[in-house]
This record gives sequence, C-alpha cells and structure tokens, in this order.
Amino acid sequence: MKTQFWAVALILFATVIGAFGSIYLKRGAEELEFNLKKLFKNMKLFYGLLLYGLSSVFFIVGLKGGELSILYPLVALSYVWISLLSVKILKEKMGFWKWLGVVLIVLGVGFIGIGGTL
Amino acid sequence: MKRGLIKMVESKWAVVLVLLSTFVTSGGQIFLKQGSSNLNWDIVGQIANIPLIIGCLLYAIGAVMLIVSLKYGDLSVLYPIYSLNFVWVSILSPYFFASDSMNWVKWLGIAVIMLGVSCVGVGSVRAMKRRVE
Repeated sequence: MKTQFWAVALILFATVIGAFGSIYLKRGAEELEFNLKKLFKNMKLFYGLLLYGLSSVFFIVGLKGGELSILYPLVALSYVWISLLSVKILKEKMGFWKWLGVVLIVLGVGFIGIGGTL
Repeated sequence: MKRGLIKMVESKWAVVLVLLSTFVTSGGQIFLKQGSSNLNWDIVGQIANIPLIIGCLLYAIGAVMLIVSLKYGDLSVLYPIYSLNFVWVSILSPYFFASDSMNWVKWLGIAVIMLGVSCVGVGSVRAMKRRVE
C-alpha cells in the first residue's frame, strides 16, 4: 500500500498534540494528591489525558493509511518534541547523552516499523 | 544539597515505577489486540469480551503508574523509558499472534531502543550528580 499524505499529516499532528498532552500530564502530576476532590479539579491532568487520548486515536486511524516502515518513525518523533518541550516549558536539562538516547530511540522505533513490514 | 539528594532518591523510584508501567501497559496492549478480533457494534455485548476488558484495565493501570511517576521525575527522562513498550510488545506479540513474526530488523530495533534508553539513563544520572554537587 502506498502511504497516503493524509496519514502522514495526521500522524505528525498526533505527535505534536501528544507531546503537549504529556507536558500537561507532567504539570498535572506535580499537583497530584490523594484527594478525590482535588483530582477532579485538576484541569491540567484532564487536558493532558484528553490530548493524549486524542493523539492515540489519531495514531490508530493514521497507521491504517500507509506503510508502517514510514509511519512508525514519524510516531517516534514525539520523543523529539517532548524533549524540546521539556527544555522549553519544564526547564529540564537535556545534554549530549539524553539527546543521543532520543535519536537512538527514534531510530530503533523506525527499525521495528520496517521489521513489521518484512 | 539535601533537597537535591531527596530529589535523586525520588527520581530513582520514578524510574522503577515507569519501568513497571511499561510491563503492565504492554501486557494490556497484547490483551487489547486479542480482544479487538472479537470487536463489533454490539457495545453492551463487549462486557463479555474478557480480553478487551482486561486489556483496558491493564492499560488504565499503566497510565496511572506513568502519571504518578511523573510527579517524582523529569518528563525528559521518564518518557523515553516509556518507549520500552515497543520493545516488550515486539518481543511478546509473535508468541500470541500467528500473523506476527520476529526478524533481525526488529531485533536491531529492540537493541537500538534499549541502547537509547540506557543513554538517557546515563545522561540523567550525570545531570543529577551535577545538581547535587
């Protein structure tokens, strides 16, 4: 099957909203307490779950629109976005080893995608 | 100094928790896949779809574990570790589904992901040591 343009676009979009979702999850988790009332008022956690859930649905739909060997590496781009956003928004430090790790993970997920089509 | 030390201990537990969550989540994914073969529009009837129910449950437990771990550790460390899901699912699925098989490209991917996660681990330990000092 030829990979459809809409599938590529949908998956890229899903990686971006998924990355923002995990930033919200992290922010929400920071306010996490064992208190049901506060849990339901934790809007950051709610937005995080919503964005994360939406991105999962887009992934499932998008992966049906083409070759896994092309689309899987795109899915793995979320690791790059999350690293960038962790630095920009959460003020976390990346450094050489962590970036190397992220690049290897993207490559590895790509290989699994290619392996899945063999 | 003391605060840095407490953070270091906490983030170690966060790493253990997110590791455990990858086992639970990938188990959930196998069950979900098993359950999805009996999926149909009889939505109420899905209550009897035991693999689907177990899959959803495991998936939810894994998500809660991930969120709790995020409270205690850096996203830029924990999220890459979460990629081990790909590893466990690719190793497990050929045992459960006749349509899935193992090949050397998948093994290569598994090895490269594990190497990548190790690099992230090395990087995070170095960053933490710098913070404590």
